[in-house]
Amino acid sequence: MPAEEMGKLTDRTRLIFAISSVVFLAVLAISPFKDFRREWKQYKRSYLRFAQARPDTKKLLADYRPDIDQIWLPGMNVIDRCTTCHQGITQGSLTEKAVTQPFRAHPPIPHNVRDWGCTICHRGQGPATEVSEAHESTLAWEQPILPVRFIQASCGTCHYADLPQTPQLTRGRELLAELNCQGCHRLTGVERPAMLGPDLTNVGAKVSREWIYKWLKEPRTIVDKDGNVTVNGYETEEEPRMPKFHLTEVELRALSAYLSVQKAKAMVPYKIDARVVAAWSKNPELISQGELRFRQMFCSTCHSLAVTRAGETKLIGGEIGPELTKVGSKVNSDWLITWLRDPQGYLPHTRMPRYGWSDEDLYKVTQYITTKLTDSDLLTSVPQLGQPTEQEIQLGHRLFLEKGCASCHSIDGLNPQKDFGPDLSALGGKSASELEFGAAKIPHNLVVYIQAKLQDPTSVNPAARMPQYNWNQSDLDAITTALLSMKGAPATSALQNLVVPRKEVGFHPTGSFAEVYERYKCYTCHKFNGYGGDLAPDLTYEGSRAQRQWLVDFLKNPQTLRPTLILRMPQFNMSDKDAATLADYMTMVLQHPAANPAAVDAKQFTPAMVTLGKQLYEVKYQCQSCHTIGGSGGYVGPNLSNAGGWLTPAWIEAWLRNPQALVPDTIEPRRTFTEDEVRALTAYLMTLRQSIKAQKTSTTAATLAAAQGAGR
Amino acid sequence: MKFHVWIGVLLLVTLGGAAGCRKRGETAKADPLLAAYDTEVDWTDAQKVIPLSYQQAQGKRIFYQQCVWCHADATPAGPSNRSNLTPVPPLLNDGATLNAESDEYMQNTVTLGGTAMGKSAMMPPYGRMLSAEEIRSVVAFTRAIAQPPYQPPARAGSQYSAK
Repeated sequence: MPAEEMGKLTDRTRLIFAISSVVFLAVLAISPFKDFRREWKQYKRSYLRFAQARPDTKKLLADYRPDIDQIWLPGMNVIDRCTTCHQGITQGSLTEKAVTQPFRAHPPIPHNVRDWGCTICHRGQGPATEVSEAHESTLAWEQPILPVRFIQASCGTCHYADLPQTPQLTRGRELLAELNCQGCHRLTGVERPAMLGPDLTNVGAKVSREWIYKWLKEPRTIVDKDGNVTVNGYETEEEPRMPKFHLTEVELRALSAYLSVQKAKAMVPYKIDARVVAAWSKNPELISQGELRFRQMFCSTCHSLAVTRAGETKLIGGEIGPELTKVGSKVNSDWLITWLRDPQGYLPHTRMPRYGWSDEDLYKVTQYITTKLTDSDLLTSVPQLGQPTEQEIQLGHRLFLEKGCASCHSIDGLNPQKDFGPDLSALGGKSASELEFGAAKIPHNLVVYIQAKLQDPTSVNPAARMPQYNWNQSDLDAITTALLSMKGAPATSALQNLVVPRKEVGFHPTGSFAEVYERYKCYTCHKFNGYGGDLAPDLTYEGSRAQRQWLVDFLKNPQTLRPTLILRMPQFNMSDKDAATLADYMTMVLQHPAANPAAVDAKQFTPAMVTLGKQLYEVKYQCQSCHTIGGSGGYVGPNLSNAGGWLTPAWIEAWLRNPQALVPDTIEPRRTFTEDEVRALTAYLMTLRQSIKAQKTSTTAATLAAAQGAGR
Repeated sequence: MKFHVWIGVLLLVTLGGAAGCRKRGETAKADPLLAAYDTEVDWTDAQKVIPLSYQQAQGKRIFYQQCVWCHADATPAGPSNRSNLTPVPPLLNDGATLNAESDEYMQNTVTLGGTAMGKSAMMPPYGRMLSAEEIRSVVAFTRAIAQPPYQPPARAGSQYSAK
């Protein structure tokens, strides 16, 4: 280019210059417009209009600012701008549904938004200023907002102890424990269940190879896709324990072979007295007598049986032990007798109590089970398996370890692999990029991943070893919630300080009480100091509640105290010595400080007090709406017909003053009785007596009616 | 002249582009059950599931601990105590009876008991056992399951309703 032409403007450069300045100008003009139209500013303005249209404008706009609002809590990693749009979040007057989001107030919870921020519970992206970025997962942000259905997971992130407000989370944690998820996975804070799968050390002596084959092929608890559970083809509400392993024919044969040769401990079969057998074997009453004893001993408290009523067959009974409708075709009778006599001799950690059997009862009940509780078709679909070969046993042994069987079922001398499945202790905090979705065509986020994996482990990973569990929707959601709550170790020390640890519960009795307690497995149904089952009353303070003589009588001949409950205490045929040991320990040790039996003397009650108490009971407070005395009254509270022979006066007084102080989760409301009323009511209740003898006959009738009839 | 046309076109394109870039600030339409804290099956229609808010869900929990024994026909333990009582307590979903009562009246009945409200003494007072918040939540649950459905009363100043 010649020098003189340098810097000379041609038409062309003029044109380019003109156009670009116009474009530049346009862009400049647009940017304030765009800024004005920004999403959060629109919400700010519409909140202003919204607040002005309401009667309490002044209050709603008290801390209104036209800028971005931010909650910054450095210690907890919270930088939340959610309140920029959710401006009414703390306004009490905006709670109703009619208020449209994002202005609705947060429902009342124990935590204040200003102290906690939002994302700590709801997840999502706090610093984002656009709805889609804040709520959903975009490429730049990995944490989508947690659907409200699983929100209880966030409570569990800090509250390791169970909360009454979060039943779904509690249920999920229970499932994780009961299904023994930590047998294969690392999970923090999940206790080992009281019962795993049965010990298989001696299983060859209990069942046939054919039965094992059948069980492995079709575990008898099946859940269809609607979540209906059937056991042996009967509908039930029982929870499935053994999941479905998709085993091939070769694997079925190998595992059944391996298990059928597990007869490590030589079992000494118990021989029933020949005279008893001779006396009863020809008796036509044998089976019906056995059935009667089966019912009287309350086997149904823990075990269920199929009952057909009005053309519909349902399982009725407890869920602690296995369902027994076809057990006669499962186990061999020698094993059954030995087991019933001493369950702990076969399975040391069983929850089945040791009953004090007479030979006669044992014979009758086992005959009933092996003749009546059978199914001749049970094993017809099973091919002839014959004697297990050495090769099959070898393969079975390998499969038993590889499939993870050993994580739930122990066999003496066999060590399960440690950390068999992936570590799940921080699963709830994982972002989508850390998860493997495989070829599954599902949205890439954590909740969907967990649910897909739980429903069908092979859907996201075809090589998964995890067996198939079937869930109903509420259990699936509960366990998802529990898994989402496990976000691993808290990220900051401030978060660590927020953790509410799970209270360690334990009950470690000693001496002769411990031996009896262990033999009858009291903790299967009763709680002591927070430890034990929840089928029956908490006995932590039983010594303050019940009179010693009543305890002895009850243990020897249990009565029903609550008419609505059908699950009842089994008849253990307890010896006088055992009953005395238990009652002594309870009266001496299981005491509540607020109800010292020595503090109240029943002798001080006067007839005038009794009359007043009766009046208060019947007229002023109408206690009969919930409690029964004699033949009339309500079904909610315990029957008080024998209150004077059962309860200690100190307990009644303390109870009337504040029931929740003695049993925190009791449903009897705390009233405002005066001290005189407390005395009078106690005096009246202490006069109520009903002799045990008189009840005995009616109990047997009621027992039968309950065992035959009532469903849960 | 030609310039002016070009410039005009460019301006339009830029403006159009800028307008197109603006995203609509709308939240995704979520499944109402996914947004529900808990649900309750309609007592009169087993096919219908009622989504519950946090407060109503707390009420449900308390209802099934405390109230179900007399205010429902089936209880977790089986039979109900309702038929045992005279006067028969209303079912909790009985909208025909309860919809007419104000929230304050219902809260007072639970808090102070039947005697204080001139009703049967069989209804005990829960004021020393449940917190005011818990009692409010029980009433909220009652409203959620009411059949016929509960309509909140038109309050004074309701012409300033939310947009």
